Amino acid sequence: MRKILTVAGFTFRELVRSRMLYVWLISILALCGLASLLSMLSFGDSLKIFLDLGLVGMEMGGIIVLLLSLAVTYNTEMDQKAIFLQLAKPVTRSEYLLGRVLGFFMVVGLVVAGMGLAVAAFAFLFGGTVPAIFWSSAVFLILEMFLLCCLGLTYQMMGTSMVGSFLYTIFTIFLGHLIGEVEWLLSQDISSWIKTLLRIVEFFLPNLEAFNLKDRLYDPTLVLGWVQWRDIFIYALGYSFVVFLIGWINLEKREFK
Amino acid sequence: MKALWLPESIGGNSLAILFVLVFLAQSFLCFHLDAWVHPQPFKNSQPHEAVVDKKVTSTLRAVAFLTGYKVLIGHLFWIQVIQYYGDSDNAADRFSKLYDYCSLASDLNPCFLPIYTYGAAALAFHLHRIDQAERLLQKGILSNPKEQSLQILLASILYEHSQQYEKLIPFLEAQIDQGDAPTVLIHILANTFQKLGRYQDAIALWKKRMRESTSDSQRIEAANYLQQLYRLQKQKP
Repeated sequence: MRKILTVAGFTFRELVRSRMLYVWLISILALCGLASLLSMLSFGDSLKIFLDLGLVGMEMGGIIVLLLSLAVTYNTEMDQKAIFLQLAKPVTRSEYLLGRVLGFFMVVGLVVAGMGLAVAAFAFLFGGTVPAIFWSSAVFLILEMFLLCCLGLTYQMMGTSMVGSFLYTIFTIFLGHLIGEVEWLLSQDISSWIKTLLRIVEFFLPNLEAFNLKDRLYDPTLVLGWVQWRDIFIYALGYSFVVFLIGWINLEKREFK
Repeated sequence: MKALWLPESIGGNSLAILFVLVFLAQSFLCFHLDAWVHPQPFKNSQPHEAVVDKKVTSTLRAVAFLTGYKVLIGHLFWIQVIQYYGDSDNAADRFSKLYDYCSLASDLNPCFLPIYTYGAAALAFHLHRIDQAERLLQKGILSNPKEQSLQILLASILYEHSQQYEKLIPFLEAQIDQGDAPTVLIHILANTFQKLGRYQDAIALWKKRMRESTSDSQRIEAANYLQQLYRLQKQKP
């Protein structure tokens, strides 16, 4: 465990030194500014608009930091061969990968949580209140980020170039949000082989719409109780575990020359 | 991308079984989660979701569903709707696309009430397209069944349309007296009084609004209406 935490701490420091948190500050300024502007331009409840856009900003900020972190670490670890130094030490490859995942998650989680606090602080500053579902939505986003950290690092272990792992991650994020479309297609009258194909796609893709509470902040039909919390935790951890295993297997098989 | 094989060094068969079990569990959960979490319009099992009007095509809507940023794009689209309605060039065809645009904006952001209240008020009171206003409000009521303001607005539009003022006025007065009524209802009631020549009642309503409102802009608005009403009252033979 100590070795995993050491790798995680090292990864965290590496990413912070790569000025990843500047992206956070820029995101807070840009997205809070954009949210305020849109809420002023629009008709209607400006606080609702601000909170909606704040949550979008949290997700976008987290994804941008994750993608940049993947690009930066691929360059140092794989291209500049820094991974040789780490694997030469008494650290197994699984410990290395898990430490990496935790380090990434610490940075991305910090960005998402920090932006959540900033959005809530702005809302309070302008005399508004933040509904409880906002915090639930933020926790869902953090769980989504954990899953995406595992996925991104797995692609890094499988990919043979920085561009490749970057693109695989970004397309999986899009496809993960496409699950709703897949569900809709499955309910349509289409040929059975396409349905089978779609079922397989649905099995493999991460269901990122499951973490998408931000679009349902004011949905009166939303039910969010113990069962949903339990399911989403199990799903996030279960999917992340499977993805981690794939990454681990690929790292074990990978030959560094 | 490298081929995926189970290496001997990390457990072989037991790991494969564990992998399959966890994968099946997460797949089951994936379907289980769909039952409660998937947003409109893809699950039509709920009555309010069956209303979604898919005949209108939009690249923005497709982008919203593909990227998962429905509410963000919904808000951007709503600003476009406001700009469309505010652009006098579109008055030439009596804002023919207003209903379609409101419908699209509400597909992306079904719980954002101003789309229904402003959209339906414009369609009914300005453009006199009662059927479209009714359809938009019904969509809003089904998506937000606990929101009374939409039900009140629908009733008001239908009464106004059928010119049943004896029913409309007490109905609106009761709703406004409850407090926290949407501004649009006060406008409807004041305009109804004005239409019937009951200027004193309209003046009393705006005076009450001026007294009770906590917002400066609302007080200024009420003052402007009062000026107009006093002028009209003077001109009255």
